[in-house]
Amino acid sequence: MEALLFNVDSGFLEGIVRGYKAGLLTQNQYNNLTQCETIEDFRTQLSATDYGNFLANEPLPISTSTISDKATQVLVDQFNYLRSNAVEPLSKFLEYMTYAYMIDNVILIITGTLHGRNTNELLQRCHPLGVFDTMPALCVATNVEELYHTVLVETPLATDARPHSSSPYPVPLSPPAPYFRDSVTAADLDDLNIEIIRNTLYKAYLEDFDAFCRTLGGPTAEIMHRILSFEADRRAINITINSFGTQLSKEQRAKLFPTIGRLFPEGNNALARADDIDQVRQACEPVAEYRAFFDGSASGAPRANGTGHGGGSESTANLLGDLGDDLGGGAADLEDRFFVHEVHLNKLAFLQQFQYAVFYSYIKLKEQEIRSLTWIAECIAQNARDRIHDYIPTF
Amino acid sequence: MALTNTKLRLKGAQTGHSLLAKKRDALTTRFRAILRRVDEAKRKMGRVMQLASFSLAEVTYATGDISYLVQEQAKSASFKVKARQENVSGVVLPAFEVDRVPGSDFNLTGLGRGGQQVLRAKEVYAKAVETLVDLASLQTAFMILDEVIRATNRRVNAIEHVVIPRLENTIKYITSELDEMDREEFFRLKKVQGKKKRDAEAAEALRKDQEIPDILEMPPDRAGGGGDLLGSKDEDVIF
Repeated sequence: MEALLFNVDSGFLEGIVRGYKAGLLTQNQYNNLTQCETIEDFRTQLSATDYGNFLANEPLPISTSTISDKATQVLVDQFNYLRSNAVEPLSKFLEYMTYAYMIDNVILIITGTLHGRNTNELLQRCHPLGVFDTMPALCVATNVEELYHTVLVETPLATDARPHSSSPYPVPLSPPAPYFRDSVTAADLDDLNIEIIRNTLYKAYLEDFDAFCRTLGGPTAEIMHRILSFEADRRAINITINSFGTQLSKEQRAKLFPTIGRLFPEGNNALARADDIDQVRQACEPVAEYRAFFDGSASGAPRANGTGHGGGSESTANLLGDLGDDLGGGAADLEDRFFVHEVHLNKLAFLQQFQYAVFYSYIKLKEQEIRSLTWIAECIAQNARDRIHDYIPTF
Repeated sequence: MALTNTKLRLKGAQTGHSLLAKKRDALTTRFRAILRRVDEAKRKMGRVMQLASFSLAEVTYATGDISYLVQEQAKSASFKVKARQENVSGVVLPAFEVDRVPGSDFNLTGLGRGGQQVLRAKEVYAKAVETLVDLASLQTAFMILDEVIRATNRRVNAIEHVVIPRLENTIKYITSELDEMDREEFFRLKKVQGKKKRDAEAAEALRKDQEIPDILEMPPDRAGGGGDLLGSKDEDVIF
């Protein structure tokens, strides 16, 4: 059904995004990039790709952060183009995508404001995709109470159905998620760790995004649910692993798990009770793909450490014993596997036509590509050629 | 009196010289050892810093830029440096010690993703800072020792080439002066003796001179001493 009318509104943009997708770096180009001896060569190689001469005007010692910033700028430009051409409901969908970055920005500003930092400096550090009109207003607040009452409830993350009078910006067109109101109260802002707030918001965001996609129906809902549920599970697993040995209580931890993942609800419950990585693995056992991550990460740990463990069977147990290095190596590997799987899911999104998930997938793939580029550049700059192949290729 | 004093001083200078030389040698040994360790520490620092910045790259890869959050959430130092003092042959060297407070303020950074990398980067950087602290104490010791060794060297050389020769010169001068005085005294004594002798002779001569007129006043027959005993007649002699 949606195939019939899809192209009326979104056919053009889908074409654009598929064109953008064709511009993603190929394995061949990655190979060329990894051969570079200096950042100079790197830039020359990149200028032959879709990035063109995005680094042309940079003064010569190019830092990796410059590369990452400029590449992000390319992405942001593309996204803004898509967004300005989009109509409902695609525009809404794209808007939802920016909420994730908004959460990060708001958290950043809250942290900075509470510590009395310079507003301009804060705004510069915000992710450009998550910029919204009223954001500078967040910096006005001087204390938590004020921040909550006057400012936070006005942001796109917090506004509810009532029409937004102050902002001409198309952000609050329709009821965006009242994340803040739902998940955080003024009292919480005071004593809660900022990371907990961030993850609470993110959980609300994921759930809301999923609900929104379900209203769109069709292949969009299907594909987006797959991607978002993986994202949800990834967060749940990561939060569990990362909260070992911290002051985060199990109840608090359980509250941060998004409820849309494939692990929900039994897996989430098991994760909430987990005390070590073995129990995490058991919790993930029912899902075949996730099981593979842990099998792989157990045997992958020696590779990452380079020290050579005896075997895959004992290393998971060792991981916790020697938290300093081994857990880092093993979990870092796990993180890589998550990235690989995410890329895989996003690639699948391109197999179906007439749906919105391609937009989401494209942005995610592009982000991954920027990460890979930064990684390669970093490896070149720091002369760590043995790790240069640890990037995750997209296509 | 002055000679004894100076000799004592010379002796003191020589003892001081040998002591200072010993100190210098001890310091130099220490200095060399520290030099070696500084070299090692610098190489180690190079490796560790590389590792550290690479782990930061890993964090950036996994989570993006977290520097701001970390800056904001760090409330108290978890890594402190304490200084204590060490005594090497009279030289006070500061030694820095690492004091790590367990637990951290940004425990939950990267909770959603990349927490492990954050943790690892933190560990690696802590190690890097430890190396830096080590290096700092070595380097400070190095500088101070260098200064002290130079001062000691100056002193040793000063004593060896200035103080001791000067004292020796003084002693030589005093001795030569004393000898001179000795000789003068001797000469004077000789002189006095000679004079006395001469005087005595003069006196003798005078006395003799006085004696001669007595003889002369005697009757002519008596003059000439013995005279011819046979030439004169003794009154008592009747025949």
